[in-house]
Amino acid sequence: MAAGARAASGEGARREPGRVHRFVEGLGTSAVDGARAARLFYSILIRTLYYSVRGRREKGAVLRAMYQIGNRSLFFITVVMGFIGMIMVYHSCTQVNRITGDLHLVGATFLQIVVRDFAASIGATMIATRVGAGIAAEIGSMVVTDQVDALRMCAAEPIDYLIVPRFKASVVMTTVLIVWSMAVMTVIGMLTAWGMFDVNPRIFWNTSMVDYRDLTMGLTKCLAFGAAIPIVSGYCGLTTFGGAEGVGWATTRAVVWSIFATILLNFVISTVGFYVFWA
Amino acid sequence: MRRVGRGIVSVSQQAGGILVLLAKILRRFFPPDIDYFEFKRNLHKMGNKSLFIVGLTAVFVGAIMVVQASVYVQQFSAYAFVGWGAGFVILRELGPILIALMFSGRVGANNTAELGTMVVTEQIDGLRALSIDPISYLIVPRFLSMILMLFALTVYGNIIALFGAAAFGQVMLGIEIRVFFSGVTTMLGPWDLWIGLIKSLAFGLIIALSSCYYGLAVRGGAPGVGRAVNSSVVASAVGIFVADYFLTFLVD
Repeated sequence: MAAGARAASGEGARREPGRVHRFVEGLGTSAVDGARAARLFYSILIRTLYYSVRGRREKGAVLRAMYQIGNRSLFFITVVMGFIGMIMVYHSCTQVNRITGDLHLVGATFLQIVVRDFAASIGATMIATRVGAGIAAEIGSMVVTDQVDALRMCAAEPIDYLIVPRFKASVVMTTVLIVWSMAVMTVIGMLTAWGMFDVNPRIFWNTSMVDYRDLTMGLTKCLAFGAAIPIVSGYCGLTTFGGAEGVGWATTRAVVWSIFATILLNFVISTVGFYVFWA
Repeated sequence: MRRVGRGIVSVSQQAGGILVLLAKILRRFFPPDIDYFEFKRNLHKMGNKSLFIVGLTAVFVGAIMVVQASVYVQQFSAYAFVGWGAGFVILRELGPILIALMFSGRVGANNTAELGTMVVTEQIDGLRALSIDPISYLIVPRFLSMILMLFALTVYGNIIALFGAAAFGQVMLGIEIRVFFSGVTTMLGPWDLWIGLIKSLAFGLIIALSSCYYGLAVRGGAPGVGRAVNSSVVASAVGIFVADYFLTFLVD
């Protein structure tokens, strides 16, 4: 190792670069790339926040984006969250049956964990796949066909024009969709518990364990995820390069990093919330 | 009314297309007609290059499980059950599902984009003109390597998520790692692990089929590729959850 490093630093100009040399080079490249990406991301984040307060207002842009993000995802979200609700109730009932057999509190616990975490985290993952991919594909194809440069030439800031309406729409619609998916999960879970485990819906509908702390956590997560998804995928869309393949790449990155952003934010918010409210 | 009808027709068209693609792929196995080098290249591209993001996701998934459980743990001081609870959820449900979603975003979407670009730039027709079967040259290797690699990545991700949960339980709740893992090993059977792994095979099949189908069905330049990636990811996600539901019932 040491010899390789010395050879690489001393006579690297003449020799083939050694393994250590290449490793350090790769490390440095990825560090520089990462720093550059972080700076660009930060600038897009700040500019989005800035323009959403004092940017220009185009009539109907936010409403159109809301329709794209909200109404078009409704069916998808309903199907997925319905299945998740069934699976969760099924698992919790079978596990409780195995240990105590007392199914009284399943509903209360289910409602609490749905409100506090599951509706927001799984719903946001789904919204990140559906909406994030859509935003990146749309903006990416604009970049590839030079429409974004045309916007810049007309002195229209692309972030103000393209990301801000989607940002506002997503913050509202993610919250709406997640509240809707809480309702879907509750109803489907109630029906599952009734049909398969004979738990009366009146016993299942027990909101005594849901208090202000759970609601605060759930709503904070909605807002955070709704804000993160369009910014991350807008960043991925704006950094597209190279034809059709580039658009594909941008979409891929948007999905991966939006899902990751929701998981990371969920981790941060849950931990902070635990120390603030429960510890 | 008309819109509903059109929706049903397009959904059944897509489902039929996916089934036809599956039949075409399966026919290439008798006798086996698979491009070996393409297969190896895809294994590396899909598996090794996803290790980082899957590992990163898995650590946080494990940690989130412990954070969510910690409210109840403190309430009932059920410290011995954390290993069981986190292990159960990670191995049976969340590990396979979240890793599959990540895989569908990272690998499935990329595969759709690649195939879609080939369609748009008429490379597939080029292959046909050279009398190379695009299915056995392009699709079958991808199909096989996606299923294999999702399985392998689920094993890897499960391990990392369990260690993430154990480490975070130690930091946050002061549960010894030994206690955590004794909860995992004594209260869970090998069946809990196998169910998750069987699920991951099914998820791999779904992701492979939908990403290849939508990639080959691309129409109309760069925006078409974007739309195809979007619908491939959405279809994989729905497929994953529906399959998860039925598998949960089937194996119990």
